[in-house]
Amino acid sequence: MALFAVSYDSLAILRDFAAAHGIDYPLLSDEGSHVMRALGLINERVQEDHAAYGIAPNPRHVNLPYPGVVVLDEAGAVVQKRFFESYRERDTGSGLVAQVLGIVAEPASAMPVTEGVVKARGWLDSPTYAFFQRLVLTVELAIAPGFHVYGETAQDGLTPLAVEIGAIDGLEVGVARWPAGDLFEGVVRGTLPLTFAAPPGGGDHTLDVTVHFQACDDGSCLVPAMLRLQVPIREAPLVGRTLPAPGASPAPAPPATPGATTR
Amino acid sequence: MPLPPRDFDTIGPRQGQRFPDVRLPDQTGAVIDLHAARAGRTALVVFYRSAEW
Repeated sequence: MALFAVSYDSLAILRDFAAAHGIDYPLLSDEGSHVMRALGLINERVQEDHAAYGIAPNPRHVNLPYPGVVVLDEAGAVVQKRFFESYRERDTGSGLVAQVLGIVAEPASAMPVTEGVVKARGWLDSPTYAFFQRLVLTVELAIAPGFHVYGETAQDGLTPLAVEIGAIDGLEVGVARWPAGDLFEGVVRGTLPLTFAAPPGGGDHTLDVTVHFQACDDGSCLVPAMLRLQVPIREAPLVGRTLPAPGASPAPAPPATPGATTR
Repeated sequence: MPLPPRDFDTIGPRQGQRFPDVRLPDQTGAVIDLHAARAGRTALVVFYRSAEW
C-alpha cells in the first residue's frame, strides 16, 4: 500500500518536518490548498463555527481541509473515506490501521467480566491517547445460547443495551454503534468514539465502562443487569513535544508556535 | 449554537469513483503524480491540517 499525506504547508516546512521525524513517504505540499479545494475537502465553515463558539479568527484557519483519509484500490478508485468534522481531530496511528484497514491488534489484555448469562470485554484501538485524538472503544458481549439482549428499540419495560463511560475531565463520548437489529444473540460488538479534549498533562486513566442490558430467553426475561469493565489508557505526548511534568498544572491547549491557537 | 454535522458521503471524492489526478511537490521538491507514484498499489491518502501547528 502506498501512503501520501497532503497539507497546505510549504516545501520548507515539510522538508524540516520529514527530516525531524524520519518520514520517507511523500508529504505533498498543497500551498494555497488549491488541490484540496478542487477535491471538495476544504472546510468552508471554520470561520462560521468559530463565530458560533466565540473563537477569535485565526489566519491559519483558512483553507483547512476536513482531516481524514481516503483509501484507494489498485485501480485508483475510492473504496473508503473517513473524515472528521473538526480540524483538531484525527485517529491514532493504530486506530487508523484498525478502523480503515481492519487490522485489529489482538486485545489480549481485555479481561472478560461475566454477569449472569452475558460475558463482556472491552478494548481501545490504541493503548495511548494524545490531545484531540479520536479513539474507538469496542465492547464485545458474548451471550449464552438460548438468550438474547435488546437493542435501542427495545419495547417499553425492557432495558436496552447501553454503554456508559465514567466521567473523565475533557473526555468527549460519542454515540455508540451496534449492528442493525432489535435483539442480539451470540457474540455482538459495539463501538463508541472517544476524544480526549483536555489539555495535555491529563495523565493516564482507567476508563470505567458500564454495560447495561437485559437478557431474555424465549419464555421470560432476567432482571436488568449491568457489567463494569476497566480499560486502561496512557497519555502520549504530541509529536515533537513532551508531556508536562507530573504535578505541574496542565499546560494550556498547545499552540505549536507563538501566535497559533488550537481551536 | 453549534452548526449541524456534515454528511461526509457528499464531501470530497465520491466513493466508487476514480480518485482525481493529483500532481504536487513532496518534501524533496520532486513533483509527485499520485496515481503514477502508487504504481498499481492500493493507497492511503491522508489530509491533515499542518505539520507546523
